[in-house]
Amino acid sequence: MAIMPIEWGKVREYATATAAARPAYLDDPNAPIPPTFLATVIHWSTIGETVRAPEVAKACATVGIEPDVRNLLSLEQEYFFHGPVPRAGETLHNSERLYDVRIKEGRQGPMVLVRFLVSFHDDQGLLRAECRYTSAYVRKEAS
Amino acid sequence: MIDLARGTRLPERTFGPVTMTDIVRYQGASGDMNPMHHDDELARSVGYPAAFSAGMLGAGWLAAYCTEHFGEESVRRFRTRFTQVVYRGDRLVASAEVVRLFRQGDERRLELAIQLRKDDGALVVDGSAEFALT
Repeated sequence: MAIMPIEWGKVREYATATAAARPAYLDDPNAPIPPTFLATVIHWSTIGETVRAPEVAKACATVGIEPDVRNLLSLEQEYFFHGPVPRAGETLHNSERLYDVRIKEGRQGPMVLVRFLVSFHDDQGLLRAECRYTSAYVRKEAS
Repeated sequence: MIDLARGTRLPERTFGPVTMTDIVRYQGASGDMNPMHHDDELARSVGYPAAFSAGMLGAGWLAAYCTEHFGEESVRRFRTRFTQVVYRGDRLVASAEVVRLFRQGDERRLELAIQLRKDDGALVVDGSAEFALT
């Protein structure tokens, strides 16, 4: 598992960047993280490796879409928190798992929907948060 | 104190006009340095009129709007779906409506439908969130 130490300075920076510069984030060395803060895990780990899994490539081949990052759209992110919201000073341990690949007919032709889950455990091994990502490979229309 | 019955709408909050500074500051903070959000030439080369904002910046603004009402430690679920791109100069309006009040274990919770729209009404982020009530 990859590690993600939660740093107070990063919480301050993220809160300020999202118009949430409030004392709970700025003045507490053990500040709680903002609801979408776990997006910053990409400073620590490469997220989305599972979109290159063989079953994704196979689904793309079925509908003639090239599984290239230029054809990849991020559609949705959903965070779940279990127990107290993680705080600055804690270290989380993250792992990623592909859990759904399906072909969907969209308005602009077929797309391959890819869903993957990133889990965040604490030092005690407790599951503290999860993020479900939904991305799609789409066929780029000639414009 | 807002009366939190089903159907209650929270007071709206406006963000923007969106600037390049907002976008690059969010990109640096989040670590997502996708150049489509700050390189106009690159965005135009694939058919966009200009570089467009990061979807997660809109999600972050919606999160800021919610924590302002329900506190920084009460989020239990936070979902955002990106429906349209945002450009520099756009003005955005965050809104939320109470969908239900329920109990999960020994916690009282609130589910919200949350939205971020351009000031002309176009929906850019559609979402759903749950907060613990203390």
